[in-house]
Amino acid sequence: MPVFTGPSVLAVTLLMAFPVAYTLYMSAHSWFASSLTSPQFVGLGNFRRAFVEDDRFRNALWLTVYFTGLATLLQLMLGVAIALVLNRPFRGKGLVRSIFLLPMVATPVAIALVWMMMYNPTLGVMNYLVGLVGLGPYKWVSNAAVVVPALVIVDTWEWTPLITLITLAGLATLPIEPYESALIDGASSAQMFWRITLPLLRPTIIVALLFRAIDCLKTFDIIYVMTQGGPGFASETLNVYTFQVGLFYFHIGYASSLLVILFALVLGVSLLLIKVRRGAR
Amino acid sequence: MIVTRRAWLVAMAIVLTAMSPAFAQQQFNWQQAKGSQLRVMLNKHPWQGAIEPHLKEFEALTGVKLVTEVYPEDQFRAKVLVELTSGASSIDVFMSMPAQEGLKYMRAGWLQPVDEFLKNPALTAPDYNWNDFLEKTRDAMVIEGKIVGVPIQVENASLMYRKDVFQKYNVKVPTTLEELEAAAKALNGKAMTDDGQPGYGIVARGKRAAATSTFAAYLHAMGSTWLGPNREPMFNNEDGVKALDLYGRLLRQYGPPGSENNHWYEASSIFSQGKAAMYTDSNALFPVIEDPQKSKVIGKVGYALFPRGPKGQYGSTVAVWGLAMPKTSQNQKAAWLFMQWATAKEQVLAVQSEKGVLGARDSVWKDAKGLSKVPADLRESLTVGSKVGTPLWNPPVVAVAECRDAIGAAIVVSIQGGDVRAADNKAAADVKRIMAETEKK
Amino acid sequence: MIRVSKGRRDRVNPWTYMLLVLLLVPFLFPLGWMFLSSLKTQVQNTAFPPVWVFVPTLSNYREVFQKNPFFTFTVNSLVVALGSTGLALLLGLPGAYAIARFRRTGIALGILTARMAPGIGYLIPWFILFTKAKMIDTYTALILTHLIVALPLVLWVMMGFFEDVPGDLIESARIDGCTHWQAFLRIAIPLAKPGIVATGILAFIFSWNNFLFSLIVAGFKTRTLPIAVYSFLSYEEINWGGLTAAATVITLPVLLLALLVQKHIVRGLTLGALKG
Repeated sequence: MPVFTGPSVLAVTLLMAFPVAYTLYMSAHSWFASSLTSPQFVGLGNFRRAFVEDDRFRNALWLTVYFTGLATLLQLMLGVAIALVLNRPFRGKGLVRSIFLLPMVATPVAIALVWMMMYNPTLGVMNYLVGLVGLGPYKWVSNAAVVVPALVIVDTWEWTPLITLITLAGLATLPIEPYESALIDGASSAQMFWRITLPLLRPTIIVALLFRAIDCLKTFDIIYVMTQGGPGFASETLNVYTFQVGLFYFHIGYASSLLVILFALVLGVSLLLIKVRRGAR
Repeated sequence: MIVTRRAWLVAMAIVLTAMSPAFAQQQFNWQQAKGSQLRVMLNKHPWQGAIEPHLKEFEALTGVKLVTEVYPEDQFRAKVLVELTSGASSIDVFMSMPAQEGLKYMRAGWLQPVDEFLKNPALTAPDYNWNDFLEKTRDAMVIEGKIVGVPIQVENASLMYRKDVFQKYNVKVPTTLEELEAAAKALNGKAMTDDGQPGYGIVARGKRAAATSTFAAYLHAMGSTWLGPNREPMFNNEDGVKALDLYGRLLRQYGPPGSENNHWYEASSIFSQGKAAMYTDSNALFPVIEDPQKSKVIGKVGYALFPRGPKGQYGSTVAVWGLAMPKTSQNQKAAWLFMQWATAKEQVLAVQSEKGVLGARDSVWKDAKGLSKVPADLRESLTVGSKVGTPLWNPPVVAVAECRDAIGAAIVVSIQGGDVRAADNKAAADVKRIMAETEKK
Repeated sequence: MIRVSKGRRDRVNPWTYMLLVLLLVPFLFPLGWMFLSSLKTQVQNTAFPPVWVFVPTLSNYREVFQKNPFFTFTVNSLVVALGSTGLALLLGLPGAYAIARFRRTGIALGILTARMAPGIGYLIPWFILFTKAKMIDTYTALILTHLIVALPLVLWVMMGFFEDVPGDLIESARIDGCTHWQAFLRIAIPLAKPGIVATGILAFIFSWNNFLFSLIVAGFKTRTLPIAVYSFLSYEEINWGGLTAAATVITLPVLLLALLVQKHIVRGLTLGALKG
């Protein structure tokens, strides 16, 4: 048995355990990286600074929650709705599923740049399209008030298909008996959906939610490429802020503590969702 | 031994020939580092674009192989910083702006001063002539008393405007900040593109840290500056707040929407597509604005001195790009050869006359060929601007990136119409904190 | 697929097709727009209202390939993606098998936890290490960092597939005298082949698309395609034609891959969800 898991465990330890240990260690130190000074022990000082003194951190924390909440909610509703449509009988299911895969596999950086182009306030096609239905023009990612929703739209475009596909797979495993008895009892489609489908799907949906929540909390590529956290700091989520602090300002110690906080956040949300799922069973 | 008359004549001949420049030039051994290889880090910049076609000339002259890496500015700075921080870098030469990062790099012990190289005739060609460089550019290369690089170009924050648009609507070209705002107001919304579409009164950078560089001009014109005599932040004093307010107001009321997201790529694009009447930014963007392949405003642009403030203060800032050498370079001799070759009169003349790069040599500015690509008003405003301008287009701190972000945040608030005074005070408090953290010696 | 329609079982509702088109268009639009823009000139790209009908030009693609060593970028992306996928499979398959067979749920949870940690947490220490060891800008460094994403993926998804392998088959093989390894290689692997394909493709795609790790660890020689596209945001201003041409070139391989092996990818992605 060791020979099977050995290499994996070794690889995982080297690749991942070491950085985690290093990060934990550094989170208790202060180190403005330059080849002259060495890390200084500060205990919980970094954490105190983050929560008490650093309002750019508090801003980042809020934005992370805001972005994740909005995105997952939107993706959940859309994803399940689309799955229900796709569950109907029609020809060409394979093709449709393939098309739905595309947003998920397209390179995020490239997609982000294309969306930036579409979002351009004066020349972008998005303002043209919303103009056709009498809305806008908006400043999209150039405006602090709407930048997060604009980013959520991009994330939703990219990842709703994942929820759809997971839900479809879940729908395929639903038992037929409850539906048959419901039909006999004269239930309507709507009633069957709300009373049978949804409750049965709950575990699946929650897992999809879990994956998306974890990823949303850590979203980096599209935000960094499209706004670098701007305008000002209006889209600077915790991950982006940590990147700036660690790899741009070179405060390695403080960045490490921010990472610990972010990880705790992700872990907390995950545990919560896992608990909810257990309850749903 | 009796020195015969003949021998004396021969000796004199030899001495005189040895003293003649031509002979001295031949004597300077460009091949003394032959066979080595240099790793050169370049920022994606007009100068880099202009020198690249000439690099093989250097290789042929010296027998030194060049491996160049080019990155867009933000990435470039981060990459260089990261490598130098590791202490194990293999960079030999890199483009540097001592005013931006010099202090930090010097204090960290990363820079190789070149004073000794300059003084050594075996290492520096006799016609290199350090004093040929404009005074301000030489000053910009000195950090804590040592020369840390060689200047490759000089630029000012300046006012670029559409001569045709000003003429058409009979508006006076602004020479003060008040006139600047009046002109922006008057021209905003007037037809000014090729096909008669309306444009904006003014365009400028608004993107957080990047905007700090252009804001510096407004700040100094108003009579304020970054730090006071005791290195306390003072850019949030009365004049500073006025400057911040003006900057935001101009862009908010007479500028393009989404200004707060504009780096110079976007701003210069808007201007060169003919959509703005004025553009305050660095005149190093001259080759970009007059790019025959992409610009629609070629020949229509005037280059003026940055407007003066209400008290007559000049706002021009002077920025000097140079080439620097890390202390850890294993090929210092070859690196120095490259640094002096790239900034020798011949090369400066070449980049200036070919692509309009604003070189740092006085002799080239006096040479007709050097002036061929540069419009007269640009030359004039550059000369004056470089004399009266301040090198403080950046706060002179160690943690420059962080401070620029803090100040940039206030600029964004101003553009969006928020509480300017509060934002300015916050930025000052942040800068103070950052300095305290990062400047313990 | 369980769907109880009220008696009219096999009749396809034409409205379904309409609804489908309505749903598919928004998801396809950005990709389509990207492709269209890559065929327009700068003037057409900066026109407003947008130009819908125009004569396509290949000049952007020509520019992209001539001005940039796109071939090098592609090779780099390929080497790193294949390298990290291969390594992840090599290390991960035996591990996933053991976890599935011997019910090591502790490790399974550990893997999920690893997935939760932000990438930068792994990046900073590794980056410092690589820089000191002068390993920045090497394939090795890049492959190792991509492995951080690929290995947990392989373990997690393959765990589910190996669980599907009937225990009795393995047992009878063992009774017949097979070693664990032989059982693994001769029975488990062939049966789980669709899963392996799915996982391999997913790992490849994620490595191909990886931006953050490559941004920091790759240097001039090993720049991958996402970095190349990001560098397009330079002083050459908003060259939308060039940008979208580059974007098309980068996403085309993974888009095609997705279309070809859609079934496998879907299985891989959803299996992790259902078994969790």
